[in-house]
Amino acid sequence: MADFIQLLVNGLAIGSVYALAAIGFVIVYSATGVVNFAAGQFVMFGTFAGVVTLINAQLPWSVAYGAALAIMALFGALFFITVYLPLRRGSIVTIIIGTVAVGIIMQNAALLSFGSWPFRLPSPLEDRVVNLGGAIISTHALGVVGVTALMVAGLWVLFNRTSVGIGMRAVAQDLQAAKLMGLKVNRLLALSWVLAAVLAGVAGLMLGPMWFADVNMGDPIALKAFAATIIGGFGSLPGAIVGGLFVGLSEVLGASYVSSAYKDLISFGIMILFLLVRPQGVFGEKIQDRG
Amino acid sequence: MAMRAPLAIAAAILVLGGLVASVLPEYYLRLFNLSAISAVAVIGLNFAFGYAGLISLGHAAFVGMGAYGLAILTTAWGWSPWLAMPAAIVATAALAVLIGYPLLRLRGHYLALATLGLNVSFYIVTSNWIGLTGGTNGIARIPELAIGSLALSGEHRFLCVALVTLAVVAALAAMLHASRHGREMMAVRDDEIASEMIGIDVTRVKITAFVLSAICAAIAGCLFALHVRFVAPEDFTYAHSITYLAMLIVGGEGTIVGAILGAILLTFLPEWLRFLGTTYLLFFGLLMLCILVFLPTGLVGLGRRLRLRSRRTPPPASVGVPEMTS
Repeated sequence: MADFIQLLVNGLAIGSVYALAAIGFVIVYSATGVVNFAAGQFVMFGTFAGVVTLINAQLPWSVAYGAALAIMALFGALFFITVYLPLRRGSIVTIIIGTVAVGIIMQNAALLSFGSWPFRLPSPLEDRVVNLGGAIISTHALGVVGVTALMVAGLWVLFNRTSVGIGMRAVAQDLQAAKLMGLKVNRLLALSWVLAAVLAGVAGLMLGPMWFADVNMGDPIALKAFAATIIGGFGSLPGAIVGGLFVGLSEVLGASYVSSAYKDLISFGIMILFLLVRPQGVFGEKIQDRG
Repeated sequence: MAMRAPLAIAAAILVLGGLVASVLPEYYLRLFNLSAISAVAVIGLNFAFGYAGLISLGHAAFVGMGAYGLAILTTAWGWSPWLAMPAAIVATAALAVLIGYPLLRLRGHYLALATLGLNVSFYIVTSNWIGLTGGTNGIARIPELAIGSLALSGEHRFLCVALVTLAVVAALAAMLHASRHGREMMAVRDDEIASEMIGIDVTRVKITAFVLSAICAAIAGCLFALHVRFVAPEDFTYAHSITYLAMLIVGGEGTIVGAILGAILLTFLPEWLRFLGTTYLLFFGLLMLCILVFLPTGLVGLGRRLRLRSRRTPPPASVGVPEMTS
């Protein structure tokens, strides 16, 4: 039982990171229709923004986290201008290949700046554990779950209680109508990329202490985020959260109770199963494109 | 009339390929072989994506099935490569039917992510099913192709095999393109509901395109296994699938010449960029992005655009609404 609780918390922590990555992916997808294959590299950049501010610049915790997220926000705006605007009229596949190309650029830019040797990103809650009925649980894992819950609450407020967030939802629903209603559509589209980059930044900062900060960490995260969005429901924010937690739990529990070699096959198998049986996922609504 | 274009393509491949082969040094011949093998796979992908509009990010898995099929039959079962090749291709085609029936109900992004999942699953299975595939160590000592006592090894001789295969595949693809079946596929790509209305069996057309693409992939996989004589899971990851798709887009989607040009360009580009040292992949990504932004119809479209420069027509009006609202 103690083992199970320990695995449960670890699964939820890693699942929270996937959920944040998936939320960023979904926000961009519903606002702009872009399937961002560089989403995993966004998280990797978040981790390395932390490496720059925490390890290289040795800033205090709060300043370092703030600076790292500011870097990510800038990066999101830059991505909007240099990648989204030129490619937005392309076909689905052009955008897929385009974001893959950007992912290659990002990964190699990181490789050239930081080298292939992994970094150990510290955490303010490091090395402290709590004993919960015999289960040794790291406070960092608990912190990750807590921060994710706060972020989700913040997003809910943003999308339901602020005019900016409601405008973003309007753009996602019907771009032409939003434009006719006098919304500054381009600014809102840019904001969705900035938001996605910042969420990826938070995910990266929290993931750094759990994995190592490695320039190749992007692809596995992207694949998990894709699986999470399909399972939860493409384009649905609650779906991204549930899907992310599910993928994290299936990975950690599957590795210890089923097979560590095939742990990833569980989430992808379930993803394909969902696509075949319930393509709208847990929360999505039926749309023709979904099959 | 109907035979002229396919024969011209086949002849052009053999003549141009032969000419290039006679001037290239040994090392570049190896790359040229790899381009020809990729071109076979990309022509296959053109059936699924270029003609029928099915976005597949799992093409490398089918290349891998062909390659592993041949590798297992020749090493563990001791079959001759000539026998193993058709067996591996038929097995891959059968798997494509099995996979295609449930999967092709999906469209657009969903199909893309499902096929991506398929490719990732293929990688996980091949690297862990050690009894069958040798795991991450792969399968080595694949026998070489031979006619009687004449071994078709070495870059020059193998290039003959690769070019003839490519010529045959390209000619068959051109024949299909001009046929009723090719037009059916393109009709399904352009408007599924309208195609169904005029009596096209959409499911059958999609499955046919998907299986044809898998067959070409398997042929490419067999050639790859016989050329490198070693297969490992790393050769068939989803990154390779994306490369195949990028070859098609860079060359010009929906065209056979584009598929071949894209395969050659993206195989040689990393070599040409080698002088950049460790930064070459960065520039590779930048170049791809630039081609997508500035040449949205690929290399073939560039040629067409240069020819049409005098009588310029405005590009078709595009709708600004993202696709997801449909």
